[in-house]
Amino acid sequence: MSQVVAILISTVVLGSIYGLVAIGMTLIYGTLRILDMSQGSMVMIGSYVAWGMLVVGNYNPVLALVAAFVATFALGTFTQLVSVQPLMGRRNELDFEMVTFITTFAAAIVFSNVALQVFGPFQKNVPPLIAGGVTIAGQNLSYQSITMALTSILLMGALGLFLSRTRWGLAIRAVAQDLDAARSMGVPVGQLYPLTMGLASALAGIGGVFLGAQFFASPTAGDLPLLEALIVVIFGGLGSLSGTLYAAYAIGLIQSIAIVAIGETWTLPILYGVILLVLIFRPYGLKGNPSEVRL
Amino acid sequence: MSETGVLLEVRGLWAGYGDSIVVRDLDLVVEVGKTVVMIGPNGHGKTTFLRAVSGLIAPSRGEVWFGGERVDGRKPEAIARKGLVHVMQGDGLFSEMTVEENLLMGAFPSSPWKRRQRALDRVWELFPQLTERRGQRARTLSGGERRLVGLGRGLMREDARLLMIDEPSLGLAPVMIDVVYGAIREIRERLGTTILLVEENFTHVGGVADVVHVVEMGGIVRSGSLEELSSDRTVVETYLGSL
Repeated sequence: MSQVVAILISTVVLGSIYGLVAIGMTLIYGTLRILDMSQGSMVMIGSYVAWGMLVVGNYNPVLALVAAFVATFALGTFTQLVSVQPLMGRRNELDFEMVTFITTFAAAIVFSNVALQVFGPFQKNVPPLIAGGVTIAGQNLSYQSITMALTSILLMGALGLFLSRTRWGLAIRAVAQDLDAARSMGVPVGQLYPLTMGLASALAGIGGVFLGAQFFASPTAGDLPLLEALIVVIFGGLGSLSGTLYAAYAIGLIQSIAIVAIGETWTLPILYGVILLVLIFRPYGLKGNPSEVRL
Repeated sequence: MSETGVLLEVRGLWAGYGDSIVVRDLDLVVEVGKTVVMIGPNGHGKTTFLRAVSGLIAPSRGEVWFGGERVDGRKPEAIARKGLVHVMQGDGLFSEMTVEENLLMGAFPSSPWKRRQRALDRVWELFPQLTERRGQRARTLSGGERRLVGLGRGLMREDARLLMIDEPSLGLAPVMIDVVYGAIREIRERLGTTILLVEENFTHVGGVADVVHVVEMGGIVRSGSLEELSSDRTVVETYLGSL
């Protein structure tokens, strides 16, 4: 019984943070048709902002979240404008997905190296937003994990409402589904693309505030989250928001079962074995479709 | 809006895709309040012409004037915001969005967005058969319903000045074609919207066309009222076979 509770709790916590970091990537792929390799940098920058706000500035945790959101939103918008937008008009003559994969990757390397120059190679300790924890059914659960899961779920819910209820949210989905039709409705794609990448980056930035407390802030702190986000979006089906959520929690569940039932060291081989198997039978992921990828 | 005179004027337009030019030196005038119909066989440049006017492709030569402003070479979103509404061939619906979301997208520019509820009510009233489908995803609709959503989405702009409709009868069963043309007649008579419509033949445009142009090989070869063209033997033999 306590094992089941442990698995459930761990699934929710892991799945939520995977979902938060990966969902931005799906949003960007669905809208711009690029795999944004700078999303990991946004996690890394979110961690540094958290360190700056909580340790250096000694500000309140809510302010740290707001600052991370604003900083990574701005940086994500900027990254789109310098690494993707200049190529946008030449989509048809280029292998657009491949070229932007490289240009956003280049942006990511610039960000890590700037972080290395500014903050140095040593990792910074990021404290949890809320210290302490509780015991539920014999399982220790930190307030940090609870806040991380709740914030992620809230933000993903807010994103869902934004995409289905607001003018710009509808426009993002419209562009993902039929670019020409969306433009002929008057949607200014030249502004919508940078804003979409800014929004996605801000979600990763918030993820960074939480992950920083788990893994420290360092110039390479975004590498693992980037890899994990890539695996989540491919496992879920590129460009599918619901697929990304299923995949995030499915991966959280597989990992939790492996940790609880078999042991920490077997987690990764089991996880990747399952992903490999699923992709062999469903090469477009859980919710992907070979011809159309839709938000 | 009480506009008079020429709303759309196209001068010597050339357009196509890459090396294949399909619209050749086309001139056209659409006057305010009129319904202008372009008739012509498939592959003779009608769709390409509409796409060049709305900015979805850049014309290679010629001028497009809309409401007294030169718009060729502008972005489609900029031309759309000036009040030019393009109901595309094959509907161009957002297939994973609901009927209501599709309609709302039609009101995207900021001033119609403020009046979207009123515009939505007007569409429900005009096309009552869509009301019960409002929460359904567009891809689950029948061809005729999709066409009505496409038209309805075009009507969401209260500031629309020109409605360009690309082959509204394409792929529909005869009974649905009547419904769609009934809707176009409603739009024309009740709202007085200026319409530029493209079709493959004369069969359905009888009740709506003020001016008809016959398009061949990317240019206009004959123009006149439907009555005038119906008395022209060559035109009748080529296009009116089914009238």
